[in-house]
Amino acid sequence: MKIAVRLVLLAALAGLGCWLWTVLFPSPEKLVLRKISNLAANACLGADEGNLSRAAKASQVVGEFAGDAEIVVDIPGYAAHTLSGRDEIREAVLGGFANVASLNVRFLDARARVAADKQTAEVSCTARVSVGGSQDFGIQELHFQLKQVEGDWRIARVETVKTLQ
Amino acid sequence: MQDPDQPPAEQPGWLQIILIGRRPELTFVRIAVLVAVCVVVFKFVLLPIRVEGISMEPTYHNHQLNCVYRLAYLRHEPRRGDVVAIRFSDPGSFSAPSQMLMKRIIGLPGESVAFHDGHAYINGRPLDEPYLKFSCDWEHEPIQCGTNQYYVVGDNRSMPFENHMQGRADRSHLVGNPLL
Repeated sequence: MKIAVRLVLLAALAGLGCWLWTVLFPSPEKLVLRKISNLAANACLGADEGNLSRAAKASQVVGEFAGDAEIVVDIPGYAAHTLSGRDEIREAVLGGFANVASLNVRFLDARARVAADKQTAEVSCTARVSVGGSQDFGIQELHFQLKQVEGDWRIARVETVKTLQ
Repeated sequence: MQDPDQPPAEQPGWLQIILIGRRPELTFVRIAVLVAVCVVVFKFVLLPIRVEGISMEPTYHNHQLNCVYRLAYLRHEPRRGDVVAIRFSDPGSFSAPSQMLMKRIIGLPGESVAFHDGHAYINGRPLDEPYLKFSCDWEHEPIQCGTNQYYVVGDNRSMPFENHMQGRADRSHLVGNPLL
């Protein structure tokens, strides 16, 4: 019986050690997914948020992108367009934030693939966006490309994906 | 035979019988099996879903609850007229997607789909669609499906063509069909 208890304790300790290891030294996939998750969190706006808070959040959103990042938007009903560089992205984000009462963004079913050299990564996910506390929402499949910039993951390219062609 | 010197086995109280049964160890095993079966069934076989939006009206209503049967196309390929759930990202994966499109297949691989005067035409022939209840005025040039593509569209075609999400879906994106 004593041996069984010791074995159980040992297994629990090993499990705890593994968990601690993953917390202290997360895998590149986890870091990449965390980056995407941060982007969604920073893109969310409450109805009670003032202009200062919105500007700060816009700055945080833009800060997740690399200097030469590109956003390619091609969705039905709208003309295809591309935002190039942080300045254009900042302008678009600030404009978007100024025109909505509130915004809820979630990136669902995210899957990350990190390249063998661990310098670039790709993430596929489904964005679910609702505006102004409405129950209606928009769904869009997105594809992210990220790259390592000074030891941190930055978003290098975002493009919309046509699920139905 | 019971030993007369030993005291009779203590009977469990009625509250214990109601809550965890006469033999708790068996009850816990039953609960564990039930939980495991539920997890497997509702994650890999029947995906519980809630319909959002009006593109499948009147067949499926907004906020209606349903389940997607994921094994529907294990034995046969999707057929014309089937309502299917279509996953967004991560095609071909068996992981349960949290967001899906629900549409009806009208065009099969290799076929061309066109709309004229609100009617769907497959390879130039009009398609009989008894499930449509709303009038429609769509006009669109033929769209050719690839060898592994199905043309999917909602049943509510009263909205403008541009506002209705439809098109060719790859086979790998089809998750299954709704149970109800």
